[in-house]
Amino acid sequence: MLDKNILDTLIQELGKEAVVSEAEDLLVLGYDSTPGLHHTPDVVIYPTSSEQVQIAMQIARDNKLPITPRGSGTGLSGGSIPINGGMVICLNKMNKIIEIDEENLTATCQAGVVTLDLFNAVAEKGLFYPPDPGSQKISTLAGNVMEDAGGLRGLKYGVTRDYVMALKCVLPDGTLLSTGGKSVKDVAGYAFKDLLIGSEGTLAIITEITVKLIPPPQDKRTFLAYFDDISIAGAAVSKIIAAKIIPSTMEIMDKATINCVEDYVKIGLPRQMAALLLIEVDGHPAMVAEEAEGVERILKEVGAAEVHVAKDAEEAASLAAARRTALSALARVSPTTLLEDATVPRSMLAETFALIEKLTEKYKLTVGTFGHAGDGNLHPTVLCDERDEDEMNRAHAFYDELYEQVLAWGGTVSGEHGIGIAKKEYLAQQIGPGGVAVMQRIKQSFDPDGILNPGKIFVADGE
Amino acid sequence: MSKKERLGNFTDSDAPEYEDVLQCMRCGFCLPTCPTFALTGRERSSPRGRVALARAVAEGKLDFTDAVKDEAFFCLDCRACTTACPSGVRAGEVMEICRSQSQQQAPPGHIGKSIRGFILQRMLPNPDLLEKSMIPARLYQRLGIQWLVRHSKALKLAPSWMEKAEGMMPKLDAPLRPQLPELTPARGEKRGKIGFFLGCIMTLMYPEVSRQTVRVLAHQGFDVITPKETKCCGAPHLNEGDRQTARELALFNLDLFLSQDIDYIVTDCAGCGASLKEYEELLAEEEDHQRMELFRSKIRDVQEFLFDVGLRTEDLQPVKTSVTYHEPCHLCHAQGISAQPRALLKAIPGVEFREMNEASWCCGSAATWGLKFSDESQQVLDRKLSNVAATDAEHLITANPGCHLQLAWGLKQAGMKQDVLHLMELLGRATPEA
Repeated sequence: MLDKNILDTLIQELGKEAVVSEAEDLLVLGYDSTPGLHHTPDVVIYPTSSEQVQIAMQIARDNKLPITPRGSGTGLSGGSIPINGGMVICLNKMNKIIEIDEENLTATCQAGVVTLDLFNAVAEKGLFYPPDPGSQKISTLAGNVMEDAGGLRGLKYGVTRDYVMALKCVLPDGTLLSTGGKSVKDVAGYAFKDLLIGSEGTLAIITEITVKLIPPPQDKRTFLAYFDDISIAGAAVSKIIAAKIIPSTMEIMDKATINCVEDYVKIGLPRQMAALLLIEVDGHPAMVAEEAEGVERILKEVGAAEVHVAKDAEEAASLAAARRTALSALARVSPTTLLEDATVPRSMLAETFALIEKLTEKYKLTVGTFGHAGDGNLHPTVLCDERDEDEMNRAHAFYDELYEQVLAWGGTVSGEHGIGIAKKEYLAQQIGPGGVAVMQRIKQSFDPDGILNPGKIFVADGE
Repeated sequence: MSKKERLGNFTDSDAPEYEDVLQCMRCGFCLPTCPTFALTGRERSSPRGRVALARAVAEGKLDFTDAVKDEAFFCLDCRACTTACPSGVRAGEVMEICRSQSQQQAPPGHIGKSIRGFILQRMLPNPDLLEKSMIPARLYQRLGIQWLVRHSKALKLAPSWMEKAEGMMPKLDAPLRPQLPELTPARGEKRGKIGFFLGCIMTLMYPEVSRQTVRVLAHQGFDVITPKETKCCGAPHLNEGDRQTARELALFNLDLFLSQDIDYIVTDCAGCGASLKEYEELLAEEEDHQRMELFRSKIRDVQEFLFDVGLRTEDLQPVKTSVTYHEPCHLCHAQGISAQPRALLKAIPGVEFREMNEASWCCGSAATWGLKFSDESQQVLDRKLSNVAATDAEHLITANPGCHLQLAWGLKQAGMKQDVLHLMELLGRATPEA
């Protein structure tokens, strides 16, 4: 329960509209898309400007309230969950696209602009913003930056980090920090911008973002390849890359995922197949023709059961849209979907699929696997029931063993979802105590009082 | 009444199933499709937020508070979230059941209760009474409003509802029900026998639309049987949270239509169609499963039906015009019927079909929602009207009386050139006289 005086001060300084404190509102602002995590904040602020963010943070600081930033709450590692209560700052009413600069090929937006809204706005001007996380219809740009979100086009076009040119943010001590700009080059001092990207809301609250835009590809070709054996799909991915072809998209879905997605989209995906790959090559028409031929040849060589070409852009878009629903569609078959974000060097894909299969059997679980095969980024998802304690324990053992091997292969515990609350222990395993200590010193220099998004990334003393 | 083990802070009858709320994995795919979330930006007014509230009540973490009740009624029940949800969560239905909870947990005061009861339990279930109550409305168009005035408190309407209701009232003709013959014989080569489910609002407010529906069906080769005893489908009762009366009506209509010698049961009201298709769930505990299945297998929306059997276009007359199509929520989201009406429009000779943006976005009518939340309804409607205007089509086609009322009123208020036609009216214009 928030002290009445603090609430009055907030309302007085920010206006009634910006302050939310009813129990029912607080209850639904204490989750994101990470299963099993929920914590109710004491108060929620909806700022409409940087100044309001500053004021809210000042009041929080004066009253020693922890602060947690939030966009649309679609995160998958618990980054926006206020585990120590306090103040949540919801940025999704700061949703204006401030400028699309066609001379410098940049766009400048407020923190809460929805990713797809930006994509559509720049597309109208014949430009392209490539990062497209699965939740692009809902997720906010600042959330994308804070988690360094990836997406289906990561293989060729990279992730959110590769497009951020400048950030404006508020530091925990109230300082406004502006870092980067529209210049293509900038080596003036430490690259704060790069430190802030992927910092999961622990260093600053972003209020404004400038991103790089590129010309859209002139042509594209979309393939759907079916496989009797998921390892063959893994081999196909490695071989396509080895043939020096970089498709814009190379996405995989296993049988469980295919069936759940088909239950929802009903577009005739092959229910009997062990796996499918969604592959898209794009660029100049001559290059697309050449690469498409190469992809088709390799798919046949490795032994894909069937290879289909999307007949038009509409069909290609519906396939990508279907793929984006994979995680949510898996939730059709079980109350809880525990998803992970293991990423391996691409040459290890086939081995990773084999390992997932082996561990699924060992721990007697149901697992649906999908992900960005071309990036080596897989989302093995345990379909379980949070009320079944034994099953949950087996699920965690599954991930422990999987991650141990992923790290041994030189992989990472998170390709694009972040550490948040869910993967703190795995991080220490990956970067070692020395690495964690340096990260903590960085955190301290930005946030000496530890009020910004506490409880994330690092395992706290006594936890 | 369906009674079972009490779930958290819900009462033991007509409560959401725990599995149904647990199914939500909070991905937020519903957020951009929800008109009330678009209006307020408030998480609790989104499908994800509403399901989370229901889950908290089910888990005993929250009482069934006024805020939960308010959200149950602020939900438009447009079901856009159901279409958008890859996980198969039906947030609209959860809220509909929460409306019933609110009647159980916070019953309206004595006067409100008796008037509400009068409308839901006495008037609507009785077609004769309903028609008589509309006689003054027909004689003196303005007086029709008195019916609503008398009942406004019970329905919790917004202060400015009266002006709107008056403006919305179409020019009323005599109700269709007493005029329709029990059997309208098929024309041309006969293709089957259908039972026509004539909805209350159709017979009272849009008799001409349903007259055309019957004409079209007959011309398409079907004997049309219209049982005079047909009662209200129960949709208004579900909408207001009176599931008990809805069940009684459902049982009556079920018996009535299963006793007819018909191949299909067809309706031209999307709201009725959605409600009839949900009888199976509504009556899950009291009715024989096989009978329910048989009934469900016969129900068709008229657009769905004509598409399935194949529209005979040989002797249709050209209707030279341009049209755009507004998808009724209870057709596209509640029944998943989206491609069929468009296919029919394209099959009518002479008609140029122009797709509008956001065709499946609610028009803001939503039963009595548009009268309860008139400001919000206007905002939802304005969004729709600007999409209609952008098509520059001559007619706005839809297939549900609630949308029809709201859109016709909105177009008139905005001084726009389009009129609203039910798809069957347009098809009626293409259908030659016998």
